[in-house]
Amino acid sequence: MNLLQQIINGIVIGHAYALVAIGWTLLLGVARLVNFGHGQMYMLGAFVTWWAFAKAGVPYELAIPLAMVAGAMVGLFMQRVMLKATFEQNLVSIMIMTLGFGYVLHGLAALIFGSTGQILDSPWSAIEFEFGELWLTAQDLAIVVAAVMVFIGLNKLLNATRYGRLVRMVAEDPKLAELAGINVRRIYYGVFAFEGAAVAFAAGMVAPRTPILTSMGFDEVIMTFVVVVLGGIGSVRGSYVAGVGLGIFTSLFAALVAPAYTTAAAFVLLIAVLVLRPKGLGAGGGAH
Amino acid sequence: MTVAEPTLDVLSVSNLKVAYGGNLAVNVDALTVKKGEIVGVVGANGAGKSSLVNGLAGWSRGHARVTGQIKVGDLTVDNLPTYERVRSGLLLVPEGKLVFSHLTVHDNLTTAFDPASNDGRRIYAREEVYDLFPRLKERRDHLGSQLSGGERQMLGIGRALMLGPRLLMLDEPSIGLAPMLVSQVLHTMRTLAQAGLSVLLIEQNVKAALEVVDRLVLLERGTIVMQGSASEMANNPRIAQAYLGAHA
Repeated sequence: MNLLQQIINGIVIGHAYALVAIGWTLLLGVARLVNFGHGQMYMLGAFVTWWAFAKAGVPYELAIPLAMVAGAMVGLFMQRVMLKATFEQNLVSIMIMTLGFGYVLHGLAALIFGSTGQILDSPWSAIEFEFGELWLTAQDLAIVVAAVMVFIGLNKLLNATRYGRLVRMVAEDPKLAELAGINVRRIYYGVFAFEGAAVAFAAGMVAPRTPILTSMGFDEVIMTFVVVVLGGIGSVRGSYVAGVGLGIFTSLFAALVAPAYTTAAAFVLLIAVLVLRPKGLGAGGGAH
Repeated sequence: MTVAEPTLDVLSVSNLKVAYGGNLAVNVDALTVKKGEIVGVVGANGAGKSSLVNGLAGWSRGHARVTGQIKVGDLTVDNLPTYERVRSGLLLVPEGKLVFSHLTVHDNLTTAFDPASNDGRRIYAREEVYDLFPRLKERRDHLGSQLSGGERQMLGIGRALMLGPRLLMLDEPSIGLAPMLVSQVLHTMRTLAQAGLSVLLIEQNVKAALEVVDRLVLLERGTIVMQGSASEMANNPRIAQAYLGAHA
């Protein structure tokens, strides 16, 4: 049945949204930072994976970690530049700086990779599973599995390890964290490196579903923003629920109403949720 | 009441100045704390007590500018960032928000580093903190935000003890506590000092402070105007009149 296929698509897209958003979730939860260069970092991750795989002949499974390293480096560099603004929690400066970084990344990527569209033809996209009228690729399955694993892993890391507790301390009160002997600067660097690596990982996993362009990024940053806010600022579990919910919503909306208005519909949903539950679905502060 | 090696200075401060904008909040020429000694700092509201200990830790929620020489044992710390001063054994339990409200008691008692156990630093394990404050053990799975004022003090002190303090600075631990809890917290300080810990205690409650301190320092408008042993200071007419409410 067509509706069931749409729901399956929605679940896959939803996990993709959640996976793309995870870095920003932690960034917002811990460092109280925004990153409007997030979409272009996604683009960069997709192109590094594509370049390594299609041009340099690196196996797909190794191309992704390579893209993650590149993403982490970009993240560290951005944090280095914005460190002062981070400590001052100067959100307006950070918003504009990250937006600027996004455009710089876009320009650099166009120079290096050209501005024609490419297809990241991963080996997993070619493997298809069919169940009667329903179908799904191995890539889709891998996205769902990867998203679930990343979320469980991050949740465990934050709640059950020493490093996770230190991250939560910084998230709640960076000043008090200093008195607990925590090198707050190092935590900020770690979180931004995670943001870069996580979005590159997401890009390597998700980008094979659609053609890639160096000019992309806007949709990704907007959907990430919706997921993070819907989920309750900085809530890891909330982001997962919001991502999957949003995926099902947009794919049903596209199938039943009109595909052209899905982004607008996502924003209507966001506004509605914010009116009804101002703190998002997974209400509560701090990273958890 | 001074114990063990009274000649060794754990903290020595000279020419400490703390300023906010153009306002000089602290101007202290010299201050020392010996090993195993409890030094109380008293003074009226706005005398610069909190600014003093915050300045020593290189810490402020506002924009303080601190100059002067600060030594912990032989180590000069005035150029170090706060977290490195903490790692060298200079521990501050601040006034006001002193525990992480979204973390459980158990998680609040997490150490960011493994303190060096040389130079005679006593490092408490989490279980030892629970032995010292059994109330915390009962509440180990409660969030910081669910604790009472006294429990928060215990938690703040407990975390500091796990980081191997050489000098423990407490900023008004008695504020908002019932009198019985005040004396419990202060007597715990006495026990810890007997085991060799040095304490710098900020107190507004002079009477309570006099029960446990070895030496008392009176701060007025940021400067030390008087200091002496607890008994000298208790009998000083000026202290008695202004801070103990006696009619001397």
